[in-house]
Amino acid sequence: MTEKTGYTIEVENLTKRYGDLVAVDDISFTVSTGEVFALLGPNGAGKTTTVEIINTIRTPTSGTVTLLGMDVTKKKLDIVRRIGVLPQGFNSFDRITVRETLQYYSRLFSCRNTDIAGLIELVNLEDKANEQYKNLSGGLRQRLGIAIALVNDPEVVFLDEPTTGLDPRARREVWEVLQGLKQKGKTVFLTTHYMEEAELLADTVAIISKGKIIAMDSPAKLIENTTNYLVLTLLSADDNVIEIIRTMGFEPVLDNDKDIKTRVEHIDDVQKILSALKEAGAFYLGLDVRKPNLEEVFLKLTGAAFHNGHVVEREAV
Amino acid sequence: MNPRVVGANLFVKLLGVYREKTTMFFTLAFPIILILVFGTIFMSQDNAGFHLCVQDLDQTKSSIDSVKELEVNGKFKITRVDPAVSAIQYIKVNKVNLVLVIPKGFEKSLLRRKFFSDYKSSVTITYVYDPSSSSVPTKMEILNGVLAGINQEMTSIPPFLKSAATSILTRKYRFIEYFIPGIIAMSVMTLSLFGTVNLNTELRQKGIIRKLCTTPITHTDWILSDILYQSTIAVVSTITMLLVSYAVYDVKLHLDAWLLAFILLEVFAFVGIGMILTRFVKEAQSAAAAANAISFPMMFLSGSFFPIELMPEFLQKFAKTLPLYYVNEGLRAAMIFEDNQAALHDAAIIGVFAAVVFILGVIATRWEEGQ
Repeated sequence: MTEKTGYTIEVENLTKRYGDLVAVDDISFTVSTGEVFALLGPNGAGKTTTVEIINTIRTPTSGTVTLLGMDVTKKKLDIVRRIGVLPQGFNSFDRITVRETLQYYSRLFSCRNTDIAGLIELVNLEDKANEQYKNLSGGLRQRLGIAIALVNDPEVVFLDEPTTGLDPRARREVWEVLQGLKQKGKTVFLTTHYMEEAELLADTVAIISKGKIIAMDSPAKLIENTTNYLVLTLLSADDNVIEIIRTMGFEPVLDNDKDIKTRVEHIDDVQKILSALKEAGAFYLGLDVRKPNLEEVFLKLTGAAFHNGHVVEREAV
Repeated sequence: MNPRVVGANLFVKLLGVYREKTTMFFTLAFPIILILVFGTIFMSQDNAGFHLCVQDLDQTKSSIDSVKELEVNGKFKITRVDPAVSAIQYIKVNKVNLVLVIPKGFEKSLLRRKFFSDYKSSVTITYVYDPSSSSVPTKMEILNGVLAGINQEMTSIPPFLKSAATSILTRKYRFIEYFIPGIIAMSVMTLSLFGTVNLNTELRQKGIIRKLCTTPITHTDWILSDILYQSTIAVVSTITMLLVSYAVYDVKLHLDAWLLAFILLEVFAFVGIGMILTRFVKEAQSAAAAANAISFPMMFLSGSFFPIELMPEFLQKFAKTLPLYYVNEGLRAAMIFEDNQAALHDAAIIGVFAAVVFILGVIATRWEEGQ
C-alpha cells in the first residue's frame, strides 16, 4: 500500500494503443487495500489490457500505474513477488498433477514454507491433488489457477475473467473460493463480464466500455444513483401481453423468449398493468417486482444488449 | 540466475516428457528405428554379393567351369537361365535387370586359343540388361573386372601395374560405424530444434508463458533450464542409440569427452535456432513447418546419411555452410579417426556458430506482449 495515499493500486491517465486502435483510453482509478475491485465490461472493452498493464505483463503507451507504491514499468521483479495472478484463459502443464503444479510455482517464487495442503483445501481440490492437469474439468482448472495465484501469499490477487466458459455450477464453486479470499482480507482485482459475479463479489465496480471507465462505485450506489425505477417481470406471459402493456405507455421487452420485463416508476403502475391484463383476460404464470440490478445499470450506461447473463456491446442509445 | 527456479523448470519439463509416451517414443525410439533399418540395409550390403542370371548357350565343360568361377571369385549369386528361352523375354518376365549370355562355340574358341595359339580366336560375352535399373552399371563394372582378370591370366604375362590398399585406420571399419555418428548428430539436431520450437510455441499458445510472466522467473532461468532439459534429452537419446548399436551391431567406436562436447555444442546451436524461430513464428503448426524447412535439407545435405562427396560440387560447397556438417565431421573425427586436431577444428566452428545463434536466440526471446 502507498503510505502517502492509502491505495494499493493507483492508475492515472492510463492509455494503451495498438497502432490506430485505442484499447485503453485515458483511464484513472484507485483500489483500496483489502477491497474486492471489479472491472466490469463487455468483451473488447479493455479489461484485460488494463489488468495486464497493472500486473506488469504489458507496458502502457502513456499514463502511470502504481502498485503497492511501485511504478509497474520500473519495478517488475519486486512487484511480481508480492502479487498473485490468474491470467485470462489460464492453463498449466498437462502431465503435472495439482500438487506438483503448486510445488512448481512455489519454487518459482522461492517460497520455502508454502502450505500446499492448505491451498488445495482452500480451493476444494483435496480429492484431485494427485490428478494430472489434463484430466481436470474447466472449473477445477480455474480453482487450481486461483490456488497458484496464492502460492506466494500475495498482497494483491488479480483474477482476469476467472469464470468465463464455466457452467453455472462450476461458476458458483469458483465464487465460493473468491468469497473465501475476500474473508481472508486480500485485495482482489477482478475483471468480468458477468453482472451477477461483480454484484455478488465486489466492493467497488468500475464499468469500462470502449476503453473508458464510464461509472465507478459500490454496486448498491451504482444502482441507486443510476436508476430510479422498478422492474416488473411477468413469467411465461401470453403473446398479447406485450401489446397491452405498450398501449399503456410502458416499454416492455421479451426476456428468455417467454418472460416480459418492463420498467415502472411507482408501485401503482404495477397495479394498473395487472388490472389491465385481468380485464383483457391475458395469462401469465407468475410475477416479480424488484429494484434494478447491476445488469440494468450496465444496460442504461452502455446501451449494451444483454445475452445469457453476460453483455455484448452495441451502439450506445 | 536462481538454481532453485532452474531446477524446478527442469524437473517439470522432464516429468512432463517422461509421462508423455508419444514424446518418449519419438525421443528414444525413432533414432533407434533408423539405426536398425539403415544398419540392416548396410550390413546386408557388406556381406552379400549381387544376384546374376547367366545363360550358357555353349553347355560345355569350359563354359560350366567359367560360370562356377564367377560364382566363387566374382561373389555373384548365380541363377542359370534355360538356353532355350530368349534372354530379353526372360528379363521382362522374371523382372531381373541383367542376363549374361555365354555364346555357343565358347569352348571351341577357348581351345583354339590355348592349344593352337590362335590369338585371333575370341568370344563375345553379351550383357542383356534393363537400362532403368540403377544397379546394372555396378554389376557390369564388376563383370568387366572379372573378364579382364581372365584375359590377363590367359595371356600369361604378369601385369606391370599392380595395386595395393592401405587404410589410414588401424583397423577396418564397417559402414554402420560411419553411420552412427551421423545419426547421433541428426537426432540431437531434431530433438533440440523441434523440442525448443514445440515446447515454447505450445506454452505460449496455451497461455502458460503469460502466467510465467507474472512470476519472478527470469529469461536467464528459463533459457538455462531449457538448455539443461534439451541436453539431458540429447545425452539420454545418444546413450540409448549407442547401447543399441553396440548390442545389435557390435560397433567399435572411440568414446571420449569429444562426444559430450559436440552434443552440448549442437544443443546450444539448435536451441538457439529454435528460440529465433519461436520469436517469429507464432502458431505451433507453422513453427513445426519452419523447423522442418531447416532440419530436412540439413539432414540430407550435411552428410548424416551418406558422404557429401557423392553430391554435385555446388551442393558440397553448400553442405560446408551447414552447422550439422561440422558436427558430423567432428563426431566422425573423434569417434572413428581419433583425430583430436580435426575434432578441435570442427568444434571451434560449431562453437562459434552456437555462440552467435544462441545469443541471437536469447535476444529474440520475449515474453511480455505489446511492447
